[in-house]
Amino acid sequence: MSYYDIDSILTDAQVKLDPSPEKLPCTFELEVPGLGILEGNPGEDIKAGTRIDLPLWLGEMLSIGARLGTSRLVTLDMPDALAERVMNALKADPRTVDLRALAPHFYTLSERILEIFEEEEMVDVLIDTFKKRAAEISDHAHNPRGAVGEGVDFLRGLDETERQLFRAAHDRAKEVRIWAGEAKKK
Amino acid sequence: MENPPSRVPPSHIDPDRVATMYGELGNKLVQHAKRTQALAHLPPYQTEIVRAVTREVRDLDRDVTRLLDPFEGSFNPSADPATACALLVDHLCMRRNKRCLMAYHRVRTEKLEELCWTGVDVLEQQQPSEGGEDRGVPQAGGGQHSSLSPEEEEYFRQYGDMLAAYKGQWTDIDLTGTLEPPKDLFIDVRVLKDAGEIQTEYGVINLTKNSQLYVRQGDVERLIAQGFLERLS
Amino acid sequence: MAFPLPRGITASEIAFLAEMETVTIVPRQRLEGLELLGGPVEPLIPPRRAALPLWLALLLKRQRRANIMPPPWLHPDSLSLILEVESQHQDYKSAFSPPPPLPGQPSIRDQGLEPTARPQYTLDGNRYYAAPPFLPQNTAQTVVSSRDPPALPYHWVEVGNMLLDVASDDLVDPDQIRRLLKDLREVRMAKMRSGIDVLDDAAIGGGGVALTGVGSMELGEERGFLAGVVDGLRKIGASKEQARREQLAEQRANGGYDGTQDEEEEDYMEF
Repeated sequence: MSYYDIDSILTDAQVKLDPSPEKLPCTFELEVPGLGILEGNPGEDIKAGTRIDLPLWLGEMLSIGARLGTSRLVTLDMPDALAERVMNALKADPRTVDLRALAPHFYTLSERILEIFEEEEMVDVLIDTFKKRAAEISDHAHNPRGAVGEGVDFLRGLDETERQLFRAAHDRAKEVRIWAGEAKKK
Repeated sequence: MENPPSRVPPSHIDPDRVATMYGELGNKLVQHAKRTQALAHLPPYQTEIVRAVTREVRDLDRDVTRLLDPFEGSFNPSADPATACALLVDHLCMRRNKRCLMAYHRVRTEKLEELCWTGVDVLEQQQPSEGGEDRGVPQAGGGQHSSLSPEEEEYFRQYGDMLAAYKGQWTDIDLTGTLEPPKDLFIDVRVLKDAGEIQTEYGVINLTKNSQLYVRQGDVERLIAQGFLERLS
Repeated sequence: MAFPLPRGITASEIAFLAEMETVTIVPRQRLEGLELLGGPVEPLIPPRRAALPLWLALLLKRQRRANIMPPPWLHPDSLSLILEVESQHQDYKSAFSPPPPLPGQPSIRDQGLEPTARPQYTLDGNRYYAAPPFLPQNTAQTVVSSRDPPALPYHWVEVGNMLLDVASDDLVDPDQIRRLLKDLREVRMAKMRSGIDVLDDAAIGGGGVALTGVGSMELGEERGFLAGVVDGLRKIGASKEQARREQLAEQRANGGYDGTQDEEEEDYMEF
């Protein structure tokens, strides 16, 4: 993860406004004067026990105090994109889940979340999901006629990591076809 | 896939009055950068947003000073966790904004370097060809035509000079030439524009419009790139 | 990021490198010997066979100054046999047909014999053992004992494609060869992709897909995707891997480590 990496910066942020599944649900453990802007109330205070969805870059660091045991600033919950319900859907059939709707940077978000929460079972579910979907991505990417039917929906639901995989496979396959004279350039 | 349950936003927030949350503008910049990566040209520099983000950083810095003022240099975080938390939030937001600014500018400078290598002179074709780019975003400085900031123009000029100096060390090899390995030593070309006589290893060839020639690829690569010749397959 | 190409090596670069392969030609015209950067080319005297780099052979062929003698593997019989091994043989359900043997390497039928490579000597008298890509695998007189089954060389896709393109009249039943090459590519690509299922072992260390016998163009085509999958799996599994290492370190610290853990991992090697 590079400092300048655009995707990693976007993973860190809330991409949509207001309730977004990518945000990190945080509960403030103490009253903080003047921090109301986080809730959309500039100038006001945040009361202890307030639950606010914060972007990852903020929530993660605020929770560190709690983990170091110094003073508890906020406690974290699992973001909606990785809720139990989502895990169950992925276990049932990873190929029918629209990851992009859950979070455009679904996997990079998961990596970050898994650094914070210890969730061995989630790792297994996600690895299985990634593998099954990668095989599907590869099949679509090597189809010179492009995606048809169900494939279109599946490809639309790819998260950013998966899109890059698709592009890598697709571009290379095309390049070889062009070299072999089976396809025209551009 | 079902939608995530939408939490009802607190009703006391007036959507028109909502202050932008810290870091949101920075995020906008990074989204611009993400789009820029996929484009062939360089979209207009977001002067307004860059300015707004730096203003936000200054505001945050003022807030830090205000928070620390009463302590007169002897602030103890564990004695006052609430202030410590507010300071941490300020600090994190500044750090975040810095990262967004840096990444935005880096994506653009990388693009500028790429344009230098491909031989596109951005300073000459100031106006990007596309209309409707970046809808709804206030344009830089009103009537200004360049899609580059003054600093970027300077960077482009100096990088171009540096690249030219670097390339100048070798006369037999064109560092900015095609990276495609040749399939054939000789190729058929058609002359699109009169280009006069050129000197090759095998003597002089005369390039008059509409003539067809069988020439060594290395001799005419540059002329193809410049649009004088067209390669026939 | 001024460099515009994707990571790795592009199809046309792979093909360019393959043009260094040595092939056999029968010249139709006399040609004086040439001193090339890649080494000297012997004088061409018809009808004596000569070994040339592929790019030069293709050039002479295009100018009708020579005929190319196809390598033994580029023949419908050889290719059908290899295709049969790839698609029917039990042992090669998920593996690739074996590459040509190295010099001195006992053929698969003499398993258990010691390799008996004969060393070669440079002009300065230094001893060396030739290894791919500096082994002739595409010459007509490639020295293989007749007991060795036909095998696809490292540059089979490129050499096959280029010879079909330029010298199809020198090949036996080129249409059949074209079909067989296409089928082989499809069978083998499918195998490579079916390996995704075991790639997470590769990400965690110790496991993975054996790519023995896979050609350079095939590797080039799948490199970006497979490396991306391994990288993705490694990142998702990072927290678990971290926990596993901590546990191992703890066991070692408590004296509970007896060196068997590593051996258990070796078992994942099979694919």
